[in-house]
Amino acid sequence: MKLDVRGEICPYPQVKTVAALKKLSAGDQLEVLTDHPPTLETVPAQAARLGYVAEITAVGTAEWCIVLRKG
Amino acid sequence: MSGDANSLPPPVAAETTARLPTAWHPKSTSLVMGLGAAAAAFVILLGAASSDRLLAVFWLFGLAFGFVLQRSRFCFASAFRDLFLLGDARVMKGILAGLAVATAGFTVLMARMMPDTGVGSVPPGATVLPLGLHTLLGGVLFGIGMVLAGGCTSGSLYRAGEGYVGSMVALLGIMGGLEISSHTWNWWWHLISQAPLVWLPERLGYLGGTLVTLGGLLGLFLGVSWWEWRASIMLPLNRQEAPTPTSLGEYLRALGQTIFVKGWPVVVGGVALGTLNVFLYTYRHPWGVVAGLGIWADKLAASVGLGAGELLGRSSLAGCAFEPETASALGHMPLLNLGVIGGAFIAASLASEFKLRWPRQPLRYVQSIGGGVLMGYGAGLALGCTVGAFFSAIPSLALNGWVFALALAGGAYIGVKLLNHLP
Repeated sequence: MKLDVRGEICPYPQVKTVAALKKLSAGDQLEVLTDHPPTLETVPAQAARLGYVAEITAVGTAEWCIVLRKG
Repeated sequence: MSGDANSLPPPVAAETTARLPTAWHPKSTSLVMGLGAAAAAFVILLGAASSDRLLAVFWLFGLAFGFVLQRSRFCFASAFRDLFLLGDARVMKGILAGLAVATAGFTVLMARMMPDTGVGSVPPGATVLPLGLHTLLGGVLFGIGMVLAGGCTSGSLYRAGEGYVGSMVALLGIMGGLEISSHTWNWWWHLISQAPLVWLPERLGYLGGTLVTLGGLLGLFLGVSWWEWRASIMLPLNRQEAPTPTSLGEYLRALGQTIFVKGWPVVVGGVALGTLNVFLYTYRHPWGVVAGLGIWADKLAASVGLGAGELLGRSSLAGCAFEPETASALGHMPLLNLGVIGGAFIAASLASEFKLRWPRQPLRYVQSIGGGVLMGYGAGLALGCTVGAFFSAIPSLALNGWVFALALAGGAYIGVKLLNHLP
């Protein structure tokens, strides 16, 4: 599943990611496309709470892809 | 991990931190943009210094505040909001660390300036503000506004420097709210003029006032830690260690990445901001944002014939809450704010994090402007924002800082409830 939260103001990138994780079907992974630097700190922490591991890659200027999978 | 950890919620997988990227490389265009802006900021510094040293000092401090805010993604709004939204106290702990450092520094400065605490006045520059219902009401309005707009006053300034269009809109809202508060000021003044200044050392001495303040901060730290544990969001204290550098060049490159590219831990940001605030106080008075924005709001309103006219008692208020009507639109307080925007732009560019971000949902612009107006009006009532009436007030050993903080938390709680009902 992919989630594009670019352009969103705080705290929507985090909130939408957590909401998507809760709806994610078993075995699926979530790819979050974000341009909001604080999500690089908050999303891995929130995802860990739900048992997900985060991997971050820079995909452009001020844009990152956070891949979340079951740890 | 110790044995009693069994009673805690499941610990976070260590891999979370291990898999964070060790480095990403800044784009050369961003780097050029950042270095160019830094050079321009330096030229402005020289220009300001040649006319009035005070202007140069405040511009420089603004740049430093903006740089630190951007690097550590320091946000007063998220500190209060995330307690209720996510059960997360990470940013709040950074603020508490900054407050503790500033409390120690401010106490030394105030004790040097005014050794005798029992004379019925407060040290020059200290942010001791009239304490009353207006403090509570202003804090609640401000708290709701900052959650809706996604950032407080200092947050909107530095995010504007990072290219967040929503934050630029919020700044306009804040100035609008401040101007509306100026228009209702004389009515509120009847209440505010009766309100007492409660400065802790006046009753408790410097030692007592400082101990009570530091004790309160420690209590809050333990309280929010318990809050996090309750929400099962405890994080490991130690981050994954990076590989040991094999040469001096590699060491310096890694250091550069840590400072200029990777985000700082928020506690580092808090301590840096608290320290900067102490140094700024040695120059004249602590950090404040509302004064500079208020000058702009007043000038803009007056230029279209909507000026608020005479404001009763404003000139009698201590601290940096408001500046006299005669203040220049490019005076030291507005320059402090411009510096924050500039410093954040430089920091964001060097880290390749600058980008014009346009919210796609029209509702977000409404939230930004509406939240901004609430913040502006609240700051007008409380005589300051999360910076002046909170981050500079608690270290001033002023009770109004604590009351404002409590009201901010209440407002943030209401704001989160509202946020949950918005798409």
